[in-house]
Amino acid sequence: MNQLPLQGIRVLDLSWIIAGPTTTRFLASMGAEVIKVGSARRPDPSTRGPAFQAYNQSKRYASLNISKPEGLELVKQLLAISDVVIENFAAGVIERLGLGYDVARAARPDIIMVASSGTGHFGPHTDYVAYGSLLQHYTGWNSISGHPGREPVTGGLWADPWVGMELAMVAVACLNNRALTGEGQYVDFSMAEALSGCLPEAVLDYQMNDRVKEPMGNQDDWYAPHSVYHCSGSDRWVAIAVTNDSEWAALCGLIGRPDLASNSKYATAEGRRKFQDEIGVTITEWTVQHEDVKAMHLLQQAGVPAGPSQDILRVFQEPQLSETGYFNRVQTRDGEERDLPGLPWRFEGAEAPTLTEAPVLGEHNNYVYQDLLGLSPTEVIQMVEEQIIY
Amino acid sequence: MTPRGLLPGVRVLDVSQGISGPYCAKILAQMGAEVIKVEPLYGDSARRMGPFPGDVAHSEKSGLFLALNANKYGVTLDLTSTDGAESFRKLAATADVVIENPPPIYLDDLGLGYEMLQELNPGLILTSITPFGRRGPYKDFKATDLTLYHMSGHAHGLLGAVKDPDNDPPIRAGGHQAEFVGGLAAATATMMAIYGKQMTGQGSQINVSSFEAMVTQLISGLANSAWGRPAPPRDLAKVEEAAIGGMVGAIGGILPCNDGYVAISPREDAQWERWLGVMGNPTWSTDDCYSTRDARQKNSPSLWKLLSDWSISYSKHEIARLGQEQRVPCFPVNTVLDLMGDEHLAHREFFVDIEHPEAGTLKYPGAAYKLSNSKLPLAARPAPLLGQHNQEIFKGLNR
Repeated sequence: MNQLPLQGIRVLDLSWIIAGPTTTRFLASMGAEVIKVGSARRPDPSTRGPAFQAYNQSKRYASLNISKPEGLELVKQLLAISDVVIENFAAGVIERLGLGYDVARAARPDIIMVASSGTGHFGPHTDYVAYGSLLQHYTGWNSISGHPGREPVTGGLWADPWVGMELAMVAVACLNNRALTGEGQYVDFSMAEALSGCLPEAVLDYQMNDRVKEPMGNQDDWYAPHSVYHCSGSDRWVAIAVTNDSEWAALCGLIGRPDLASNSKYATAEGRRKFQDEIGVTITEWTVQHEDVKAMHLLQQAGVPAGPSQDILRVFQEPQLSETGYFNRVQTRDGEERDLPGLPWRFEGAEAPTLTEAPVLGEHNNYVYQDLLGLSPTEVIQMVEEQIIY
Repeated sequence: MTPRGLLPGVRVLDVSQGISGPYCAKILAQMGAEVIKVEPLYGDSARRMGPFPGDVAHSEKSGLFLALNANKYGVTLDLTSTDGAESFRKLAATADVVIENPPPIYLDDLGLGYEMLQELNPGLILTSITPFGRRGPYKDFKATDLTLYHMSGHAHGLLGAVKDPDNDPPIRAGGHQAEFVGGLAAATATMMAIYGKQMTGQGSQINVSSFEAMVTQLISGLANSAWGRPAPPRDLAKVEEAAIGGMVGAIGGILPCNDGYVAISPREDAQWERWLGVMGNPTWSTDDCYSTRDARQKNSPSLWKLLSDWSISYSKHEIARLGQEQRVPCFPVNTVLDLMGDEHLAHREFFVDIEHPEAGTLKYPGAAYKLSNSKLPLAARPAPLLGQHNQEIFKGLNR
């Protein structure tokens, strides 16, 4: 199709921090008009620093103090002209603010309200205070990652970005249903369940074999060799995953050890798993002679899946991203030209997604309150003075 | 009766194999689309991946395959044969969406690419998931979950900083997270295209890169790079310097318990005060080195030692309960065993029972969302046996 698919959709964004803003970034990039509402009274904690720029690209941003009755009234007017509203406060907060689904539906009967919280909006632990990093522990996501016998891993930014994308998918699914039936929807989304949904192998292994899946570092249940190997330079590694016998033969040829390919000990994945430590020593004898990117190219030319283990700055500099139109060069308000992140999909032959700089709080007050809600300039000024538009 | 879900009347042909594509199609199936899985005669490669009961490979009992393909119909076609290609074209003419994830099956190379399919069916949506997309220097590179996890920057963050980076390499997450996020990105884009089709009647050709899907999970890090910030160091010594510079926050961590670990994050001052209450207000808590957030961050190694000395006498569920009662963000570090017995998940009916003729009745992770006005067909049917619906589906095509 030629136009962006979400053209004509308006989204009221009451969310903050990471997950909700990630959702509305996807929706805004693909054609929806997203109106983010926030207040200087309780600023979005991610406002500080470049992260806010990434999470809030392509949106409009109005300031509004919903602790005042007049502020709440304005939100209801915005609900009345929105197709989707999204919030990611702790469970129960939006209702206490006077903006629950009953209120939203009264303002707009076919509204789609997407509500995301740590453990969902009903159930015995619905009140649990949650952060994404903790949910990765609670949901078992971290229990299958790490090294056997060592402390659980504590890093890994996964929960919020994953949930951000999944919420966007669900919101659009609800738009599809509304187009067919005219019906709105309340979506009770649990971040914890989204993470637990990413471990079907471990969940089924437990039922099939009464086994609690242990973490296994870089190794794999089936493939071998399957790890990272030291390259030249400090803390430089290339990941290599041999997924079949012909890749194994190709690897042995490349590293100058064709004898290993004909050694019956290593002829099957099972054998290579059993002896992967000694195989690793041999592979490393070759990888340490090469820079990681060079090793990747040599391995890929030989038909072996491989790539360097990179930090985020090297990812930012990836030719695979810069040469495929992933980034969007934008002049930011400090006058600098910067490459801002893009989207993981391309709609071929269609209008380019909207990926602009993130707004600042209140930047679109006139558009939202005058153009959309029909307030007069004098009324807006007065509400600013009264810290309603604030 | 099977619930209609959110996508009634949408027909999807899933010619993908392995994980990313089938996961995308699984999402569409549980949202209510009619998904027909088209497998080669030798079956989807995921049928040969575990877990298997008793660790004995069986093409109808792969836990991974069963989870990724529940709620789909299944047919077999040899797309390289004239008859197979013809049947595929007939099916594609009736579909709204086709999903592929080459390699090994490239619809383009089989003469069944977007141009041809669009001629048959102008409103068709073709979603192609590949490791690196269809452009750029890596477009023909091979990739696996391991290589994608490392190349995209995730592995550097997962383990956190370590004492000896040259002997303690970055690691990937367990399972197949890179493949899953590629599938989720594809489902998100496809859902948008389905909406666009409903509004305009027009189809779409969508290319999804699993690498870019992984990278897009780290847009905050990319923005930091765009603003000239360095990457977070993997060397613990350098992190401590960085923490003082305000780049890395000592905002939480894990504590050992008598039966595992508990994860806590009393990052705000008020949360910290309440956490001290949970611990019975130990005398050291008023020391200058722990009394402010900055001080706690600076002295986090000695602080975590003090916290650990306390936590080791309790169970992980005990501490999580005590902490949450005082509204401190803390959770037990759970395994799948804990998940299967979790009262909250049980109350929310997160796991879904599906009976399969070969593998029996098993619990599968359900959807992370509950809808007020629609029910989702989460357990409409088990993953198909190889070729199970050939007769039923092909009969309708006068084959």
